[in-house]
Amino acid sequence: MKKWLGIGLTAAAFAAALLAPWLAPHDPLAADFVQGLRPPGTPGHPLGTDQLGRDLLARVLYGARLALFIGACTVLITAGVGGLLGLVAGFVERWPSTVLMRIADVQLSFPFILLAMTINAIVGLGLRNIILSLSAAGWVVYARVVRGEVLSVKQRDYVQAAAALGTGRARLLFRHVLPNVAPSIIVVASLQFSSFIVAEAAISFLGFGIQPPTPAWGSMLSESRDFLYFAWWLAAFPGAALALTALGVNLLGDWLRDTLDPKLRV
Amino acid sequence: MRAYVLSRLGQTALVVFLSLTAVFAMVRLSGDPVLLFMPMDIQAKDVNEFRQRLGFNDPLPVQYGRFLAGAVRGDFGESLRYKQDALGLVLERLPATLLLAGASLLLTVGIALPLGVLSAVRRNSLLDHVATVMTVLGQATPGFWLGLMLIFVFSVKLRWLPTGGTGSLAHLAMPAVVLAAFFAARIARLTRSAVLDALGEDYVLTARAKGLGEGRVVGKHTLRNSAIPIVTLAGLEAGQLLGGAVITETIFAWPGLGRLTVQALLNRDFPVVLAAVFLVSVMYTLINLLVDLLYGWLDPRVRLR
Repeated sequence: MKKWLGIGLTAAAFAAALLAPWLAPHDPLAADFVQGLRPPGTPGHPLGTDQLGRDLLARVLYGARLALFIGACTVLITAGVGGLLGLVAGFVERWPSTVLMRIADVQLSFPFILLAMTINAIVGLGLRNIILSLSAAGWVVYARVVRGEVLSVKQRDYVQAAAALGTGRARLLFRHVLPNVAPSIIVVASLQFSSFIVAEAAISFLGFGIQPPTPAWGSMLSESRDFLYFAWWLAAFPGAALALTALGVNLLGDWLRDTLDPKLRV
Repeated sequence: MRAYVLSRLGQTALVVFLSLTAVFAMVRLSGDPVLLFMPMDIQAKDVNEFRQRLGFNDPLPVQYGRFLAGAVRGDFGESLRYKQDALGLVLERLPATLLLAGASLLLTVGIALPLGVLSAVRRNSLLDHVATVMTVLGQATPGFWLGLMLIFVFSVKLRWLPTGGTGSLAHLAMPAVVLAAFFAARIARLTRSAVLDALGEDYVLTARAKGLGEGRVVGKHTLRNSAIPIVTLAGLEAGQLLGGAVITETIFAWPGLGRLTVQALLNRDFPVVLAAVFLVSVMYTLINLLVDLLYGWLDPRVRLR
């Protein structure tokens, strides 16, 4: 149940993102003032239109594109950087890894969303910067989890045996340790994926992320606040899309954890 | 014990120092706040004078030294926008945020703990299934969307509650629920699994074998032993609660620390940003120290060193 709901919702979100140009009935940026603020069910606009007469269905579909792209990029960067740092920090227990973990502690002592938002406010807005700020705020979780796993994996007999046979350190790390921490990396990635998507939407909602007129769920919700009294659909649909995507990815992550690595606590 | 508290306080100072340094570096390397505060038709001479007055013309290390010397005394300078002491401004907004956070903490504990315990004790009952669905939904629903939907239902349609602002219990209701929702979902889930873990232990079996009533078995023998993971998560989440307050306060125009920080970031009012960062990191590390001290009280086997 959990598995199929998770896979179904996630697949639907990815399908919406990939097929947006073919599924969308209109251009998400094309304004048509005559058709402004039409409710759902209007002919030609199944989910209605916004204040500029732009088709809401098209904007929600293209929003999926943006959300999943940002989530995927951020997960890849954080898994790469945080995973590698955690791998090395767990394997080489000298002062650099102590320093690294201290930095991780300091960073974790600050609310994630506030940190990413502050970075955006300072270095600037836009697609590239939001991916960078989310990555900068998110790598610590990987570094921590992976380091912890490596500390235990490297004590196992097969690693000790390989070391005794004279296997080089790089080979030991990448051939013997990495494959055994990979499940944790995958599980953390799937659980982080949804929190990155929600965080991006929150940051765009507050005005520090993707800017209008680009159809991002967060900035659409932010714009919808001015029309809440007479156009509920502008707030309902982008938010529902966001919540369902997050729900799907969360369920998928839970299921992956139960299957791959039941003891992992994130 | 005393040495432990002292060393932890030292660590707190280090964390605060490093966060301030990081934010200071980012702020100073990113551009010129002065130009943003000047009218369009300003003369170069006036810009320079203003910059001189605020000390932006000095070399960076001098500015950094002056900033640290001020920070130690709680002086982060004057807000560029409100012309008021930055830390004073931030402290003025703190009670509103604490009221909001306290109310949602109360809601969380009042709802999530009993729900988690009940669904563990009555595992696989209807209540357990309903609770599981609710917690999964609660964790996936973004707070700002929940907020908008609540405003639509309770303010726009039913006209029961005000859309924003502060002053009465009616003003507090929606922001507190929105802030509590995500938090409560996580705590309820964790409580359920922690209680399930404890229920499988031998001492529970012993307690049952000697004929204790189920109320005492759960209330006295299980709860206390499942408290540690719950308290740990609550401490970790307290920091994220401060982050969540940023969004909730913005939606409901709640005049707290979070809304002030968002406005200060939008206005590039950096003294206020730095003062807010200072306060948030101090509070967060202190909350975690408190959590660690709680361990020793909950479980005498834990010795703090």
